[in-house]
Parts: sequence; C-alpha cells; structure tokens
Amino acid sequence: MRFQLAVGALGLAAALGVARADDLTVPVAVHDAGFEPAQVSTPSGARVRLEVSNETAAAIEFESFELNRERVVQPGQKVAVYLSGLSPGRYEFFDDFHPERKGVLVVE
Amino acid sequence: MAQTLLITWRETLEAALIVGMLLTYLGRSGQRAGIRYVWLGAGGAVLAALGCGAASGDALTLLGPETQELLQAGILFLAVGVLSWMVLWMGRHARALRGDLQRKADRALAAGRLLGLAAIAFVAVFREGLETVLFLWGIVVQSGTGLEVAPLVAAGLAGAALAVGTAWLFFRGFAFLRLQTFFRVTGVLLLLVAAGLLASGVNKLIGLGYLPPIVPQVWNTAWLVRDGSPLGALLSALVGYRSRPSLLEVLAFGLYFPPMLWALRRAEGAAEAARSDAARSAA
Repeated sequence: MRFQLAVGALGLAAALGVARADDLTVPVAVHDAGFEPAQVSTPSGARVRLEVSNETAAAIEFESFELNRERVVQPGQKVAVYLSGLSPGRYEFFDDFHPERKGVLVVE
Repeated sequence: MAQTLLITWRETLEAALIVGMLLTYLGRSGQRAGIRYVWLGAGGAVLAALGCGAASGDALTLLGPETQELLQAGILFLAVGVLSWMVLWMGRHARALRGDLQRKADRALAAGRLLGLAAIAFVAVFREGLETVLFLWGIVVQSGTGLEVAPLVAAGLAGAALAVGTAWLFFRGFAFLRLQTFFRVTGVLLLLVAAGLLASGVNKLIGLGYLPPIVPQVWNTAWLVRDGSPLGALLSALVGYRSRPSLLEVLAFGLYFPPMLWALRRAEGAAEAARSDAARSAA
C-alpha cells in the first residue's frame, strides 16, 4: 500500500513537471562577452534542464523575470535550472551581476 | 556605476527592511535588551558573508551548486519558522505592553526569544549579504579586464547604504502610528515577509527540479510592476513579489498567510482576554 502510494506520488510528480531522467538538457555558457549561445530553443511541453556554466572568473547570477528563476553560479561551476510546462514564446534571461549579458529561450 | 548601485540596493533591501522592522518593534515596545541581539545577529552575518565571500573559491565550491541552493532553501524555511514563532509571541505581547510603555523600562526577554531575534537578523543579512559580497568580489576579480575597480566598489557600498536609508525612511513613516496600530501593522508585515520567504524557498525547490510548478505562470503583472524596478524590488523584499509566479508559489503563500493572520489575531485576542481577567481579579 505504502509502495503504491509512493509510486503514485512519483508518477504524479513526474506528470506535473518534476525533474527526471528524460529531461531535455540545454547547455548555455557564460563568457565575459555574454551568453553562448545567446539564443536557445526548445519544443513546447518539454521538461527542460537548462545547464548554465560560468566560464568567467567571477560569480554570475542567472536571472529571468519571464522564467521566474534566479541562481548564483560560482566561477567554473555548472548549475541545472529546471523549467517545465512553458507555453510557446520568447523568454529573456540575463546575468543580474552583469546585466549587459543577455540571452533568450525560445519555446516553439 | 549607477547599475552597480542599483544592484546592491536591491540585494540589501530585504535584509535592511527585516532588521529595521525588528529594531523598530523592539525600540517602540521598550525591549532594549533584544536590540543588542538583533545587531549581534546582523553583525555576525556580515562577517560570515565576508568570510564566505573570501573563501568562495574553496568553501562554497566544495559544497556543490545543488547543495548550496538546497541549503539556501533550508535557511529560508527555517527563517519562516522562526519568524512565525516571533510574530505570534509579539502578538501576545502587543496588547499587554500598552499600559506601561511610556516608561521604556528594559523588559526581560527569555533567552530563547533573544536567540530567535539574533537568528532572524543573521539569516536575513547573511542570505543577502553573501550575494552582495560575491557580486562586489566579482568586480574586484574582473579588475584585470580594465574596469576601474574603486569607484564601482564604492558605488556598490553606497547602494547598500542607500538600502539601509530606504528602510529607515520606511519606518520613519510608521512613527505617526499609534503604538497599538504600529504593533498590529508590524505583525502583519512580518507575516507577509515570512510568506514571501516561503514562496522564495518553494521557487528554489522548483528550480532545482524537486517540486513541480503545477502551472509555471499563473498570471503576469509585469505591465503593472516590473520585477527589476525600485517598486518591484521593494515589494519583492516585503512580500516576495514576482510578476509571474507559479501556481505552487501562489499556493504556498495562500496556505500560509491567512491561517497565520488568523493565529495572530487570536494571539492578540488572548492577550487582551488575559489582561482583562487580571484586571478583574485585581479589582
């Protein structure tokens, strides 16, 4: 019974958009010059694992008002930002510590 | 440079508001003993943030990015717990305090409450302080790229000072309130802060993929208040404002705030009842 509940909860969690193995990984690197690539696209409905790596010498803060995410990334580190259930559209993101660095996620 | 100032202003505002609220509350209720503990917590947090910033290459990286973020979420939930407990306690005292406030006598606070005050101040300042330190440290590190460092760091520090000034102005505005109204407002404001912190913690767990957003964007109020604007930053610091919250964050806020508000009203009511009981038995 408890096992079935656990499976049910996991299934529900997966259906609602919790991280799992078949997430679509989208890498984005931060260089001194900006995001690379500056534009990434994903199909709508996919669970996206946006992998932000900081290749500069200073801390950055990946931030997006449109995606409702913010995350500090230490130099040399790589973080995974999970996104799910996004409707088609353009979602801008930037580095809050260096706002001139900008990028956009296009959900098709 | 103006940008640097704006960034540190935003990063520091929440901490300044929370600490300001505690100090104002303690000052006006004559509980001077608590004030020292708030400063102790805040000061300790500044030192800790500086220490972590200096060691960011080693200590923080050692933890791994996911653990860092989980730790942040944990700290947020802890802060919500301690804040809730403090607000209910303040509510019970708000009415009882009314009579003898003018004397401003030092009130004895239990050791647990003093530690609670120090803990809230520490958590509030450390969380934001660390980001500010990392940001300013980044400016120093990038000095190699030809940026003039000193004015930028000065602008950053000015932004932090400006945040403290903003919080001060905010609470000066409260000075005209009658004491009882002031306590009520402070209690509700702190509950709103706590609800915002709860939603922030939930947002972190969603970003880590541990919780589902259910609906990624329930509404969009960016046309009304932009997230990065000064008003957006103020609202974000006070109530965790986001222009495009997910359903789970809205639920967390909605399931926390109304019951806590009710509990606060009850605590205030109980304090009043106890007072009139005491008055009756004395008579």
